[in-house]
Amino acid sequence: MEVTITKTEQSLTAKLVGRLDTPSAQEVSQKLEPLMENADKELILDCTEMSYISSSGLRILLSLRKQAATKGGKVVILNINDEIRQVFMMTGFLNLFEIKNG
Amino acid sequence: MFMKSLLVLDNDIQQITQLAEFIEQFAEQAGLDMALTMSLNLALEEAVSNVMMYAYPEGTKGQLEIEAGFENGKCTFVISDSGIPFDPTTKQDADISLSVEERPIGGLGIFLVKNIMDSVSYARKGEKNVLTLTKKV
Repeated sequence: MEVTITKTEQSLTAKLVGRLDTPSAQEVSQKLEPLMENADKELILDCTEMSYISSSGLRILLSLRKQAATKGGKVVILNINDEIRQVFMMTGFLNLFEIKNG
Repeated sequence: MFMKSLLVLDNDIQQITQLAEFIEQFAEQAGLDMALTMSLNLALEEAVSNVMMYAYPEGTKGQLEIEAGFENGKCTFVISDSGIPFDPTTKQDADISLSVEERPIGGLGIFLVKNIMDSVSYARKGEKNVLTLTKKV
C-alpha cells in the first residue's frame, strides 16, 4: 500500500492507496508513525483510493483513534467505498469515526 | 455447477497475497459478484492469518491447505493445518457497542469471519486442525 503524508499547521493528511491487508499492515503502521506522533492535531485519512481493509488495518485505525482521544486530536476518514463501509458497519467502526464523503 | 480448487501456503503472512488471487480466481469461475468476492476475500484472509499466527508457534515452519468448493449455490472453504490443536470458533465475540476508550485493539478477525459466513466449524481430525466455512450465494 502507498502512503503519502502532507502536513499543514493544524493537520496531517495521509493518503492511503491500495489494500490495507495483513501483509501490508506492519509497513503501513510504520509509515503512519508521524500521525501517531501528532495525535493532538487533526488527522485526516484519505481513503478515496483504498480498495480493501481487513482486521489488521482496522487495528491501525483504532490505535490512531485511541491516541487522538488521549492527546486531544481528532481523526477524520475521507471517502470509503461500499465494501469498506460494510466492514465498518459490521465492526461498529461507523460509530467510532467521523467519516466524510466528497 | 460444481468446482473445486486447492491452494497450499506456508505459514508466512506475506503469502496472504496469493490467497487473495486464489479467491478472486475462484469467485470469477463461480460467477460471484464483486461485493461477495470482497467479503469472501476478507473472511478467508482473517481465518487463514489466524491459523498462520496461532497454529504454529512463532519461528516454526508449517503449511496449510485451503480447499475452495462451489456446488448448488454454496461456497465451502476448508482450511487445514498440522499445527497445535487450535479452535478459533470458541473465541468470544467482540463487543462492538464499546466506546473508543473501552474497545480493545484486536479481536475482530474471527468476529468478521463469523459475520460474513453462514457457518464456521472446527474439527480436530487426526493430527490436523480443520476449519470449515460455508456461504450460500
